[in-house]
Amino acid sequence: MSKDILNSNFFELFDLPVSYDVDLLQLQQRYMELQKQVHPDKFANGSDQEKRQSMQHTSWINEAQTTLKDPVLRASYLIKLKGMDFSLENETTMDAAFLMSQLEMREKMEHVKQQDDPLVALDSIEKEIKDANDQMMQGFAESYQADKFDDAREWIRKLQFLKKAKNEVNTLIADVEDELMH
Amino acid sequence: MALIQIAEPGQSTTAHQHRLAVGIDLGTTNSLVASVRSGDVSTLPDPDGQHLLPSVVHYGENGVAVGFEAQQFSLTDPLNTIVSVKRFMGRGLKDIETEDTHYSYDFAETDSAVPRIRTRTGDVSAVEVSAEILKTLKRRAVETLGDELNGAVITVPAYFDDAQRQATKDAAKLAGIKVLRLLNEPTAAAVAYGLDTGNEGVIAVFDLGGGTFDISILRLNKGVFEVLATGGDSSLGGDDFDYAIAQWMIMQADIANADDAAVRRTIMQQARHAKEALAEAESVEINIDVEDCHWQGTLDRSKLKELLTPLVKKTLLSCRRALRDAGVDKEEIKEVIMVGGSTRTLLVREMVSEFFECELLTSIDPDKVVAAGAALQADVLVGNKPDDEMLLLDVIPLSLGIETMGGLVEKIIYRNTAIPTAKAQDFTTYKDGQTAMAVHVLQGERELVSDSRSLARFELRGFPPQVAGAARIRVTFQVDADGLLIVSAREENSGVEASIDVKPSYGLSDSEIEHMLRESIDHAEDDMHSRSLREQQVEADRVLEALDSALATDGDQLLSDAEKSTIMAARQALVEVKDESDIEQIKQTIKQLETACDDYVARRMNSNIKNAMQGHSIEEYASGSEAEES
Repeated sequence: MSKDILNSNFFELFDLPVSYDVDLLQLQQRYMELQKQVHPDKFANGSDQEKRQSMQHTSWINEAQTTLKDPVLRASYLIKLKGMDFSLENETTMDAAFLMSQLEMREKMEHVKQQDDPLVALDSIEKEIKDANDQMMQGFAESYQADKFDDAREWIRKLQFLKKAKNEVNTLIADVEDELMH
Repeated sequence: MALIQIAEPGQSTTAHQHRLAVGIDLGTTNSLVASVRSGDVSTLPDPDGQHLLPSVVHYGENGVAVGFEAQQFSLTDPLNTIVSVKRFMGRGLKDIETEDTHYSYDFAETDSAVPRIRTRTGDVSAVEVSAEILKTLKRRAVETLGDELNGAVITVPAYFDDAQRQATKDAAKLAGIKVLRLLNEPTAAAVAYGLDTGNEGVIAVFDLGGGTFDISILRLNKGVFEVLATGGDSSLGGDDFDYAIAQWMIMQADIANADDAAVRRTIMQQARHAKEALAEAESVEINIDVEDCHWQGTLDRSKLKELLTPLVKKTLLSCRRALRDAGVDKEEIKEVIMVGGSTRTLLVREMVSEFFECELLTSIDPDKVVAAGAALQADVLVGNKPDDEMLLLDVIPLSLGIETMGGLVEKIIYRNTAIPTAKAQDFTTYKDGQTAMAVHVLQGERELVSDSRSLARFELRGFPPQVAGAARIRVTFQVDADGLLIVSAREENSGVEASIDVKPSYGLSDSEIEHMLRESIDHAEDDMHSRSLREQQVEADRVLEALDSALATDGDQLLSDAEKSTIMAARQALVEVKDESDIEQIKQTIKQLETACDDYVARRMNSNIKNAMQGHSIEEYASGSEAEES
């Protein structure tokens, strides 16, 4: 009997090599191909059992796609595949220099609304985050490649920080835009 | 001599029966039913040739009237004439108090979570009123198409929360309609336009109806409609435009008794007419003649703009957020599909086109496009187009979470996650010997429980007593393709499935639905029985048909002889009981057949997935070698 897809790993599921570098276009294409096979719409006339199975499989495929698409989720998934217990919620970096740079960024965010043009200021913070993010992703890829998993985990912790910062910037941009429109 | 039948290439060789399926747009102001006939999609008219059915229900002395017939009573008998009932779907009394500023009904206090409107024939819930509208549309469809329906796709605003979706599904159940899928209105519109134009790329659907607003960002690619993000406001629409104009009229005319239901309806109607007239004219004369108030005045486009701009701005804020959630720049949007009667208002078109800086698609009637899209999907879902590549991938509009210590919400599933989706969350006990726990499920983006929408409270019971902190209760939140939440729980150490008591915060419980069903069939025990029996028999046929088609496709490859004979025995058992009249026995036998097929169904799903991936590499190889040869 064939191995249950619900227990396969996400890379296997999409027939992609286990690596931090994922061809996002290929991922998207294969995601669509799988959806065409298992999506509940294909079983609208089927038995309740088929509907249930289809729902479980589609949920699984959706989670797999979300995980592989997102740089932070993908990185922590790779670490988990190495058999290490890793939960994004419970880890935090202790790198003093990094934490300092994060504090500075937060301060900038706090004062952004007093700037002449808050949107321009936010754009520059956004750019700063993006650059740092690219650097951390690069760092993770290298550590992971070299089997230095403790280093790799440290990169993920930092990536997680940046993800939160990016969300906050987005919220601020939304706030500023709201104010401008009223 | 009988002629030999030859199937068209690509079509199944077994004679395929065309199944009847419809798309239903259950709107705030108007509702429609559409169907695909001989390959063309069209909305179905009533005997008078009217396609739109006003979403108005009148509870009169001589029975219930729906549509134009009910609309006549809107002014003379406002308390028994229910308009815009969609705004009350899945809502509690508190929400309604804010909503009802527009309408003023007489709400009854009840024990149920669901508010009921007092009418002369008794108290009715929004679900029952909507069921009346659905019954009328169903009757129209059956009369036009000439036979019973196999199912329907019913559209809902993309921004509808779980309670509002569930209420819509309950209304369909009451009306005796099998729901193939709840489809988001903007997605339906995208289907109607997408299939029409064959366009590809990223588009936006701006859907402003009578009472709801949706914005969806979609990517269209080879028959796949993938929703990237959705946003909106489930209580913003043309009614609010009318209300803003009505408020201005009341001020201008200095109407004293504006709280009177009949006066209010009259003013609202005049406001609507003025708004509609201004789509053509530069200005419009208004004559108010209610009770002891007479006023004459003019409303022009610039005044209208002043009154409506704040409302339209609200829609544009949602557009911004949806774009950000989708990770799409405004420049990437190729087209904006305009849906809903309120997009006829010129100001809306101007402001939307200015915002997106691109072409607005308005070629399909904005009132009919949603029903048409729903009918197209219904036709595919019911199985009339086995080779169709069309696939709709949608998202959940609002985050789902649970209450944690301190009245905070912890999000479990984030908004704009592709559905279906499932997320498991582990809980533990805080007291020795604890065997039950309560989970409060909420929906919305806010941090505080008090700012979020309460969906339900679940009580998990029956897990074995252990020391505090030792139990591991895994609660799985599953959102299905209709955007509806299903919760299940099990204690991981013992493997005990916890039983779940659901107390929906704003919905009807199963027993209430059952009760209404009984009521609606005039207490006739036999009718109820024959209806349930018929439903079970249809279900049995569906299970058998699905199994036979599966066996014909891959039964030999995936099953050993022994497995096959087990399944065939269970199949035979069902064939034997299905035409008898024992409902319970049919139910049990279906269950037994399903159990026998458990492994097989899972294996099929797996093998489909594997084949898709293998097929992929073969195709690549094949196209690669072709390229080399040429």
